[in-house]
Amino acid sequence: MSNREDRLRSLLDKVRAKRPEERTTHAADALERMRTASGTTAAAVAPSSPPLPPAAQPTPVPSAFPTQAVPQSFSEPQTSQRLESPTRYSSQPPRVERPLSVEPRTPSVRPISATPSVPSPSPSPAPTTRRPESIRPQSVAPTGQPVVYATDPPEFPRPKTFGDLLELTLSLRPR
Amino acid sequence: MHDGRFDPSGFYEFNLTGGTVRTRAGERVVMLSEGVLSALVEAAARDGDLTPLRRLGELLGEQVLSGLDRPASVLSAEAVLGHTSAVTALFGWGRLAFERWGPALVIALRDKPELDEDELGAAALLGGMFSEISQRQVSCVPTGDSKFIMVDFEVAETVWGWYKDGADLPAIVGMLESKRAS
Repeated sequence: MSNREDRLRSLLDKVRAKRPEERTTHAADALERMRTASGTTAAAVAPSSPPLPPAAQPTPVPSAFPTQAVPQSFSEPQTSQRLESPTRYSSQPPRVERPLSVEPRTPSVRPISATPSVPSPSPSPAPTTRRPESIRPQSVAPTGQPVVYATDPPEFPRPKTFGDLLELTLSLRPR
Repeated sequence: MHDGRFDPSGFYEFNLTGGTVRTRAGERVVMLSEGVLSALVEAAARDGDLTPLRRLGELLGEQVLSGLDRPASVLSAEAVLGHTSAVTALFGWGRLAFERWGPALVIALRDKPELDEDELGAAALLGGMFSEISQRQVSCVPTGDSKFIMVDFEVAETVWGWYKDGADLPAIVGMLESKRAS
């Protein structure tokens, strides 16, 4: 800090001591000009602008809708590589001889699984000594297995078509 | 008798010059990521308006009907399931299966996109699709475990209330009875 600057600063302090409300003086102007010109005054000591009161703080902008670009500092790339030419984009699509088509494998059809709402004894092979008394099969026995005949009709007859299945389920109402 | 097979070859036509993707029925489709769709469906479910999902289901149902040579009601359940599950898979909505729980028809939709927590988006989609296929207004009510019970739309809200109160699928079926049989 130079002698001239010291003298001006002490003069400014004296003036402020006499008239505290007076903040702008010739000495202050001179000091400011010197600071600006030489850069010798530590700018970090006195912030250039006072902090805004809370009411004057800018409203946060939602991150999804930025109204202006956020300033970012980009450092120079460390590598010495340089692009020799920019990537060029063309609106001309690649030539295709025929339309693309998706051809997945034919999906396998899942069999309808019928689960009774009321637990019932599962069909078991008929004993050789006597016939079962009352069995309600809920599913058709696979081919080759012994067929067990029911003495009572099944509670829910197996629908023959999708329409039958639909009629049955759409007829359901609360008990 | 319909053989129940679905031919997926050439189902989509990609027009790179025009920038469009269409089904073979001419319907224009747009590819969406699961995350984007999930956000849209979540917002729609929050607003209580899942009409677009139901409309999408109707479009899938139209695709199914276009592959059938007879009305779905006279076909076997296996034949209808074959076409429906194929169209559902081609649109990326998961593996569809039928289950019978007593008199109730239950739709299982495995590996479907993760949308809203209550599965109302998938329910709206299935309801629209099966309404179109059956040519009747049906509702598919979520019952947990990616299963949806198909009922008349007049009782759908009651069934949904049972499920929200904690009833599982067997309990819900037990609280229903067929009015046709009585």
